[in-house]
Amino acid sequence: MNFDLINSTISKIPFVKKINNIEQREFSIVGNVEILLEELQDSLSFDFQINLEYPLKSYDSESINFSNKDLVSYNHVMQNGNICIHTSHSISITEKLKIDFNALKDWIIKYIVNQDEDLNYEHIVAAESPINDISYSFIFTECKESFSKGELGTVKLSLLNDGMLRGRTNYNFFIKKFIPISGDSKNCQWNQYYNRQKTQLEGLYYYVEDAPVTQGRFAYTKWSELSLPTDLLNLLHEYERENFNKLRGKVIPLFIGYKTVGTEIHWQAALLEVGKFPIEGVAERINGRKNGKWNSFLVDAEISWGLTRNSSYEYFFGRGVFSKELTEKKILIIGIGAVGSMIAQTLTRSGCKYIDFIDHDIKEPENVCRSEYRFANGITNKTAELEKILYEISPFLNSAKLNDNYFEKLVKSFYTDPERQKKFIDDLKPYDLIVDCSTDNDLMYVLNSLELETELINLSITNHAKELICAFHPNIYKFVNNQFSNVLNNDVEDLYEPTGCWSPTFRASYNDINTLVQLALKHLNRIISGEKAKNNFVIQEADNSLKIIEF
Amino acid sequence: MAVEKSTHLDDVLKSHRMAHIDGLVSKHKNKRDEIKEAMESKYSSDIFSPFNSGSFGKHTAINIKFDLDLVVPFKRDSFDTIENMFNDVYDFLYKEYHESGIATVRKQKVSIGVLFNADADGDEINIDVVPGRELTKDTYVDEKDLNIYFNEDTWGFTKGTYTKTNIQAQIDHIKAKDNERKVIRLLKIWKNTNGEKYKSFLLELLTIKAFDKATISGNNWGKLKGVMTYIKDNITKDEFTLKDPGNSNNDVVKSLDSWGRQALSSKMDTMITRIEENAENIKFYFPINEDFEVKEENSSNSSYGLKGSSVGPSIPSNNQRFGQDEL
Repeated sequence: MNFDLINSTISKIPFVKKINNIEQREFSIVGNVEILLEELQDSLSFDFQINLEYPLKSYDSESINFSNKDLVSYNHVMQNGNICIHTSHSISITEKLKIDFNALKDWIIKYIVNQDEDLNYEHIVAAESPINDISYSFIFTECKESFSKGELGTVKLSLLNDGMLRGRTNYNFFIKKFIPISGDSKNCQWNQYYNRQKTQLEGLYYYVEDAPVTQGRFAYTKWSELSLPTDLLNLLHEYERENFNKLRGKVIPLFIGYKTVGTEIHWQAALLEVGKFPIEGVAERINGRKNGKWNSFLVDAEISWGLTRNSSYEYFFGRGVFSKELTEKKILIIGIGAVGSMIAQTLTRSGCKYIDFIDHDIKEPENVCRSEYRFANGITNKTAELEKILYEISPFLNSAKLNDNYFEKLVKSFYTDPERQKKFIDDLKPYDLIVDCSTDNDLMYVLNSLELETELINLSITNHAKELICAFHPNIYKFVNNQFSNVLNNDVEDLYEPTGCWSPTFRASYNDINTLVQLALKHLNRIISGEKAKNNFVIQEADNSLKIIEF
Repeated sequence: MAVEKSTHLDDVLKSHRMAHIDGLVSKHKNKRDEIKEAMESKYSSDIFSPFNSGSFGKHTAINIKFDLDLVVPFKRDSFDTIENMFNDVYDFLYKEYHESGIATVRKQKVSIGVLFNADADGDEINIDVVPGRELTKDTYVDEKDLNIYFNEDTWGFTKGTYTKTNIQAQIDHIKAKDNERKVIRLLKIWKNTNGEKYKSFLLELLTIKAFDKATISGNNWGKLKGVMTYIKDNITKDEFTLKDPGNSNNDVVKSLDSWGRQALSSKMDTMITRIEENAENIKFYFPINEDFEVKEENSSNSSYGLKGSSVGPSIPSNNQRFGQDEL
């Protein structure tokens, strides 16, 4: 490290009054600076450490840090006194030093001089610690019901998996519901699939309302700092006594709930190991004499915090979703081959809550290369595998099982009968949107001929995924036929003919198809949100760019 | 062979001619005459002679959707109010046809719909009866002005109100305008086969105005394109109006809000662009009625349906639409 350059650059920064004890160590340069600003009466002292990586960032953090333990009560100061700053990239040491010291200056002005409050809520700082070298994490959603201060109860949890977290085994649980000592359960807002998972762990909860913190944001580190009510301590004592032999060493979480923003609640999980609960029995005395009763008290032990995450729909999909008009729709996808499975998965990842799908087909290994299916699931019904995949993605997607024969047998056999037509229209009425990706010309004709009250979209692609054709009811059959028969130059000669199979198929890779599908969905989202007019369209590659041709 | 736009449009018009459905038309006419006689017998001296209107009366009907409207002009002193007239006609038709189980009779926007039960061929005949009352006593014969009743909020009018119209003038407005009629029929074919909700009357007035104000010439496509271009260029203009020949105070373009006008303009633009880009696209917007496709040597090649659906060996399958692997 260039000690002289760093030393001289820092000394030239106008608001650095003095550099103290600067020294070169094996992997860093450390020292102390006194910062004096016009806005400050006295200078502020910060220890600093500049690591070898400087001026590069390391693990998303600056490789310089400033600290002052006396400032820990101010915003963006860690418990060890480190000031949390994130600054611009630079590969020049002198420029980066100026940037970083200016960031320190800005922090002082914003939070010490102006005493600004952040608009954005930041979670409390709780150092997660494992128990017996195993970490625990817990995912929950907001409940529809509210919690009252001092409320106690049990928590039902189910295991997602035992994965790895920072080099350790981590048990990932999700909370299914909170059951108060008296009153009805309060369920997390997961989909039916997660709600009906078996309970694999029980915990306790205590709603304190105010965050269990010191200095506004640092979670308590000792059990004795938590003012837990006697009822809860006695409950813990009873639990441990009853389960000592059976569950010794098992970890159960105690969820401590508090308000964050508005009515939102966060749950911090304090981990308890059966056999080592941080409580002790103290004999009750009257006039100095024991009366035979014992009460439980917390001991001065360290709290092991587990990792908790609020995974409510708004957070889960906070970074990007389709429009509400689309995500709230009850959707039916007919045909979940290449295009259909990509649509289903994209809709799921983009926040859609209700997607049913229908397909009588079997997924074979050859399907994997250009669909959302996976080798690991083997040969299986497409519907079963897609359901599994989509539930693995989103805990908010609901999907109902349908009769695979509905379109193939029922609708196709009786679509000309006026009475049955009414029945089919009624059957499909619960859906807001039907996406036909079956590429079945007969079904396309039949559905187009029904006077559906549901929005119907038909999607298909030409060979080599040169074009994607999208049509809306009632302008589907005629439009799609004309495109394929007369307008587009669909190559029907160069097909892929797998060995041992009489049914050749189109050639196109996952990338070819999904590029078109994603653009089509982007456009459909705009149409459904009202941003674009609902016109049939064709997506076509021309001059190295994709063009949406509307009709 | 690439489609020739004008020839195709000619085929489209031919395949949508009413002559193809002579039998059905006769059935409609018979039912209409039956209702006409019933009305004359019931209201005798209270009415003037009922006459035909709707697309059939205007010779702009297409065989996939046509109206057989019967206008019944009542004398000024026949009823106290327009509403009473409307309700009385409804009551009469209801008793005569609905209660007797012959038809379903219902109140519509400005008419009373009589939907006869399906006959042995499965045909359901629908006649709309439009009652109108003379504006002032003894003026109808010369003026032909009538007040019609609004039974629903429609076209900018409120339910329960009435407006002056002159249906005869509306019919006369399109008389002897063969070129206009062709374009109107094409636009109606577009409307009906593409699920568009525009009023036929609006398309009719737009076409007539286009012929009046712009130079519309050339072959079928030239004329159609001329009218579509006129609509595209003018309908969004604030000052653009479409005077109802039946009531000069009624501006028919007001039945569309500004978004609707913009949308119609865009649709016209898109259609012209797509058709000019690739003539085959004309078949989607203006399809031949396959039930009555005229196959002449000089007509365009109107091969509809998938190539894959043509007669031939089906193994291996040659479905051309993709997106779903078949194994």
